[in-house]
Amino acid sequence: MENRVEYWVKIPIGPIHPALEEPEKFIITLDGERIVNVDVKLGYNLRGLEWVGMRRNYIQILYLAERICGICSFSHNHTYARAVEEMAGIEVPERAEYIRAIIGELERIHSHLLNLGVAGHAIGYDTVLHLSWLARERVMDVLEAIGGNRVNYSINTIGGVRRDIGEKHKRMILDMIKYYREEVMPKIEEIFLYDPTVEARLRDAGVIPKRIAIEYSAQGPTARGSGVEKDVRYNEHLGVYPDLGIKPITPKEFTGIIKGDVFDRMVVRVGELWQSMELIERALDQMPEGKIKAFPKDNVALVRLKKAEGEGIGRYEAPRGELVHYVMANPGSEIPERWKMREPTFPNLFAVARALVGEQLADVPVAIASIDPCLSCTDRVAVIDSKTGKKKILTEKDLLKASIEKTREINPNIKAKPEPIGGTCGGVRL
Amino acid sequence: MKILYVTVGLIAIYLYVSFASLLWEGLDRKLVARMQRRMGPPILQPFYDFLKLVSKESIIPRDANKFFEIAPILALAASIALLAYTPLGFEPILATKGDVIVFIYLLTLIAFVRVIGAVSSGSPYAQIGAQREIIMLASREVPMMLGLFTILWRLSKLGVEKPFSVGTFYQYNIWEIGTPLTIVGTFVLLMVFLLWLASEIEVGYFNIPEAETEVAEGPMAEYSGRHLALFKLSSALKEFASASLVVAIFFPWGVSGYLGLSGVGAVILDLVFHTLKAFAVLFVSMSIFRAITGRLRITQAVSMFWSRILPMSLIGVVLLVIDVLGVIA
Amino acid sequence: MTPEEFLDIIVKKFPGVEGEIRENKLPHPRKRVWINVDREEFKEIMKFIKEIDPKAQFSIIIARDGGDYLEAKYHLELFYDHAPSISLIVGTKCPKDDPKLPTVADVFLSALPYEREVQEFLGLFFEGIPDPRKLFLPEDFPEGVYPLRKDEKGISSAMIKNAGHPYKMKKEG
Repeated sequence: MENRVEYWVKIPIGPIHPALEEPEKFIITLDGERIVNVDVKLGYNLRGLEWVGMRRNYIQILYLAERICGICSFSHNHTYARAVEEMAGIEVPERAEYIRAIIGELERIHSHLLNLGVAGHAIGYDTVLHLSWLARERVMDVLEAIGGNRVNYSINTIGGVRRDIGEKHKRMILDMIKYYREEVMPKIEEIFLYDPTVEARLRDAGVIPKRIAIEYSAQGPTARGSGVEKDVRYNEHLGVYPDLGIKPITPKEFTGIIKGDVFDRMVVRVGELWQSMELIERALDQMPEGKIKAFPKDNVALVRLKKAEGEGIGRYEAPRGELVHYVMANPGSEIPERWKMREPTFPNLFAVARALVGEQLADVPVAIASIDPCLSCTDRVAVIDSKTGKKKILTEKDLLKASIEKTREINPNIKAKPEPIGGTCGGVRL
Repeated sequence: MKILYVTVGLIAIYLYVSFASLLWEGLDRKLVARMQRRMGPPILQPFYDFLKLVSKESIIPRDANKFFEIAPILALAASIALLAYTPLGFEPILATKGDVIVFIYLLTLIAFVRVIGAVSSGSPYAQIGAQREIIMLASREVPMMLGLFTILWRLSKLGVEKPFSVGTFYQYNIWEIGTPLTIVGTFVLLMVFLLWLASEIEVGYFNIPEAETEVAEGPMAEYSGRHLALFKLSSALKEFASASLVVAIFFPWGVSGYLGLSGVGAVILDLVFHTLKAFAVLFVSMSIFRAITGRLRITQAVSMFWSRILPMSLIGVVLLVIDVLGVIA
Repeated sequence: MTPEEFLDIIVKKFPGVEGEIRENKLPHPRKRVWINVDREEFKEIMKFIKEIDPKAQFSIIIARDGGDYLEAKYHLELFYDHAPSISLIVGTKCPKDDPKLPTVADVFLSALPYEREVQEFLGLFFEGIPDPRKLFLPEDFPEGVYPLRKDEKGISSAMIKNAGHPYKMKKEG
């Protein structure tokens, strides 16, 4: 055994690697093509959001939360708003709950289509990537029409939503669903359920058995692909979802067996695309007329929150799994005592790292892609260095200085000068 | 005089094939892009890439040894030598008795030099890519050589003076034999050769050694600048030469004979026509294959070669053999 | 099992536990069980929860600096096969001059990354943690600085000033 160790190769996947969309580091020990050990190192995308959150008021955090992640931006501020509402005992108008459900499902469609394409790219099947991202443009257009942005649509506010869904939007959404039902979904099903290449690569790759999924509390499609029937929308009785007939989707309904491999996770995503479209249709049907927010203006909400006491937890099934936000009030202040969140990728990463042991190197990219990692979500807490930091930053400045000098040397006519950016916000300089 | 003629011819062919193969790269990228409903890069993009790479600094890793720098030059040298034995609508310039064997040897040598370069770079990604390349090399050549030599043997029964030379294909055509068994057998072997071609240029199922998302371009992980440009050019040349072999075996017809041309005009016309045929073969085996498949795992690819493609090749061989033995008896 | 039944079982087994059930105002009101325990009893209670539902899901550790004490709250979800499941928050505390809690990574495997996170960000240490390495912060991060602390061990204003924005250098010279 002693000699054997020398043949093991340690290869770093990341922080920068073509298979990863965002920086993270997997240190993989290999025996030939077989994986012996996987270690995870995070923190390449730390922005110090929790620390920043200690210096922002409730409304500002709403928009900060949205910027935790680009893909599931709605999920974050939705969950945060729920946590604050639970803390302060605010009642949300029913129409707002329906709008939240509709936008949430639209976001799920766009996130799942994105991930299906990424899985195709990870196995070198780029046609799948390009075609599924082409299909995704349609839902992005709808989201843009409703929220004004392709991502970060800022739909939620505390006690309701900021934008209503009118007749025009309703028609647009129904057209989109028709397009997906008739043109996109048959192709997606053909690729992800019946294509031989996809089956050869995804079947039996990155298997997360049910036991490991429970032990490492895997979330979302990763857990459901392993046969754990867990969906926060269902078992939390969240919002209006029980009225829409939500049920956790497992691959059993499509393929009849549950193996817990990458294939099953993709099948769950395909199933959830169908489910999301049904949910949107039902929500559009049942949506009552009425108010869309509890407070007419943000400052009214702030005054109310200033008096609030206690703590609240918001939970929501983001496209990648269970999202938890926790808010604790600081009576008499606009700034919450504590704001903390947990993203589905965090437990999923450790579950998949455990599952990769014993697999082949070729399965690493697709297994990582299959949990749809969202690392800017996971790496949210960060800070500024201190003693060593000072030294480091000096180097950084030197580097910048050197780079500017070099630019001037090459082209003395350059006019642009680096300017300080960012203003003051909440009393703290950005 | 002969040496002068050969040298000038080789340089001309080298320049022409470099142009044609880089042009094909551009066409391929554009065609695949259209299949994927993208705009795609301009057709001349590979030329721009090549020129830019040549002008850029080449970074040599600290752990690399001497072979790291020599390998790209050897690879290009091997691929230029390969052109001298490549059928291009006419007999190769250096046609000899056994030039088919030299051809295969040089083709394998290019892959081998790539492996040496990769191993010398000291990068773990390149090491893994090199391992994969060697495994693929050992698997893919067997069915191809079996088919190739059977066809040559079948043609030699028709009375050829140099049975192991590429020129044989221009004397006799495998389809001309015309018996049903030969036609079926040759058709099976055509399939084998198209799959071999795809694995030789490493696309689709067989994009394993250079798997971008797994081992970050594999053997090429550490190469940059001039050295990368040389490798890119040599693999483009190799692509074209491999496709030329398939064209010469299965579609050797020229057009100059029908038009009654002769001399230099006939050579140029045949060369252009051959290029078009090679593009057609590459379109099937590279562009379409690349657009409709993804990458396999290395174990799956190897088992595909030994349990699918090799038996397929054997069937083709057996059909041809039965046909020949029937003719003799 | 309803939240009330669950709380009864816990209180019967551990009389020292203070627990309550709070409800929010969603269209379908949702009950959560909040309990607070001493750190001596904490590990026992976690083991007992695992006995009640072996499939219990560990969601998050919410740790905070509460002035002269450090507080950690653990959210768990039980019986998630049924709707609604039980949402349980277990809170425990420790004084700042002895910032130690027993680890639960041996009871719930998935607690390990959260414990690593709390250790590096709040300086709340877990006794018997199997893997005490840093997870988010760089390896060369200074000892004794815990970013989310609100006292002198947190990020001081001098550090913030020194960190600055790299583009600020133009002003400074």
